[in-house]
Amino acid sequence: MKRALFITLNEVKLYLQDKGDLAFGLLLPILTLALMFGAFGSDTLFKSTANIVNEDNGAYSQQLIQKINDVDGISVSLISADDANAKLDKSDILIALFIPSGFSDNLTAGQPAQLTFKQRGNGGQEGQILASIIRGVAGDINQQFTVLNGVKTALAGKGIADSNIQIVVQSVLAEQSQQPAIDVKEEITGGSSQFINQYLPGIITMYVLFSLSLSAMTIVEERRRGTLERLLTTRLSINELFFGKYLATIARGFIQTLILLLLSYAVFQMFTPLSFLACLVVSIVFTAAAAAIGMIIASVSRTQSAANWIAIVVTMFMVMIGGTFFAVSEGSALATIGKFSLNTYANKAYGVIIAQNGSLGDAWPQLAVMAGVAVVGLIISRLIFRAVPGSK
Amino acid sequence: MADEFVIVKDLVKSFKDFKAVDGVSFSIFKGEVFGLLGPNGAGKTTTIRMLSTVLEADSGDITIGGHSVKKDAAAVRSIIGVCPQELALYDDLSALDNMVFFGHMAGMDSKTAYTQAMKNLELMGLEDRAKGKISKYSGGMKRRINLAIALMGNPQLLFLDEPTVGIDPQSRNNIFENIQSLQKQGLTVLYTTHYMEEADKLCQRIAIMDGGKIIAMDTPHNLKKQIGNPDKVTLEDVS
Repeated sequence: MKRALFITLNEVKLYLQDKGDLAFGLLLPILTLALMFGAFGSDTLFKSTANIVNEDNGAYSQQLIQKINDVDGISVSLISADDANAKLDKSDILIALFIPSGFSDNLTAGQPAQLTFKQRGNGGQEGQILASIIRGVAGDINQQFTVLNGVKTALAGKGIADSNIQIVVQSVLAEQSQQPAIDVKEEITGGSSQFINQYLPGIITMYVLFSLSLSAMTIVEERRRGTLERLLTTRLSINELFFGKYLATIARGFIQTLILLLLSYAVFQMFTPLSFLACLVVSIVFTAAAAAIGMIIASVSRTQSAANWIAIVVTMFMVMIGGTFFAVSEGSALATIGKFSLNTYANKAYGVIIAQNGSLGDAWPQLAVMAGVAVVGLIISRLIFRAVPGSK
Repeated sequence: MADEFVIVKDLVKSFKDFKAVDGVSFSIFKGEVFGLLGPNGAGKTTTIRMLSTVLEADSGDITIGGHSVKKDAAAVRSIIGVCPQELALYDDLSALDNMVFFGHMAGMDSKTAYTQAMKNLELMGLEDRAKGKISKYSGGMKRRINLAIALMGNPQLLFLDEPTVGIDPQSRNNIFENIQSLQKQGLTVLYTTHYMEEADKLCQRIAIMDGGKIIAMDTPHNLKKQIGNPDKVTLEDVS
């Protein structure tokens, strides 16, 4: 057993010496997470810049701009009319909001005021969403004026000062916005609404599957180097060699997953300590299962390229049918084939813990299948393994 | 004989239809340097692979240090050291790391493995390059490390499979000196080569192999008497 651990340590040492391998194994998860953060780092899914030409510069136009700027995901860029027209001509922007001069004066005087959207074609999908949001903001302001003017007209001649009416109306509207007559509630099915929670399981499973390739290569590489035969003349038993290599692969796969999980924890604050530990357990079981399949490939492969190609085909097969890139509908033919992919079980186990806030107990069927694959895979690979053709 | 350390009887090994070793028998005395001489493909390496427990023989018996290779391979592995023909090193690790690792594989604890590794590196004249990566070593230096690793674990029997192939004279002399020095300390050596001159210099007895069979076995002196000038020897002369 001690010698198996020395094999593992040696393998880890070799891994740390190979800069290319190290960069691939450790930096790639960091890079992936940085990309995920760029894509999903904020709760707001829609992000856009509102290009506004303010030809008014009055109090109400400032108020409107401020309210647009306060909308989550929208930032305001103030540009001149000439600039806006030039950019629209060159399609640098697809839509711009023009606030005409006299906008605030008209509103102050109780007269209707107008906003203008200038756009290329239909303004593009983003432009249409932006215009719709700005219409909503303008509609809110419009409602305030309608109510205020209505109340002022109703109370005209009652000796109540306009300023007092304005204070009361604004207070009522503020109260109403806190407790609206019609409240819209968001009900989320399938756990957290955060996109990162939906995608992280697939990303983790992809990285763990790399350990399948790693374990497929480890013994072939030892054979190519000539060190396998040399090891067989030492006190090291084949079982120790096998177990040491297996542990080394699990260790490498686990380190990669740990980096991903730690970064996800730190950057997205997406775990509780308990769910983090649960994910680590799933990762170890999944890596053990993937590494066991890798050991089978290592046992049947005589050359490096054979091991490489078999590992690639098996990995791609598992990724494609295991629901890593796209959801697989229950009851479909793909779902049935997907039962032969480790990813199916790993995705589900991670999903239960990350996206549905479940516990290890909730993921036990998937964990049991993966643990079974690890044990059976290891036994099969050991039975078919021959260090040297015609040998023990 | 009481001091026969290695006894090989009627050893046979075939790969499909090709008989690589065909009824080979010999014995090596304790403390002897025994040479297996022959051209490429004669069966020398296959014989060493069977003796060092890597390959199973189709038939025949091998006993090393009183242990049967077939029945007690683990005991055999605990008393042998193998220096393979091809370099078997971790190029990305230092010489010291390589040696300590194989020391662990030979059953040593870390401290003993380190001490032994430094001693062996000194023996090979490479102690100042202990922490250098193997990939930066010259071919001759790699050969010396290949031998130094075989000595980790203080083996009683050392297999040297053409240890001087493709190296510079300085490294070859270093290896020769070390083999002679180790023999003085009581180490038994099985040395394969296809250079008569090497076998003549190092070995007390030589077996000449060809086509998987031993075709002659005697002391270098007696063999030379039979065949004349070793520089002009052909296999026909000895068969």
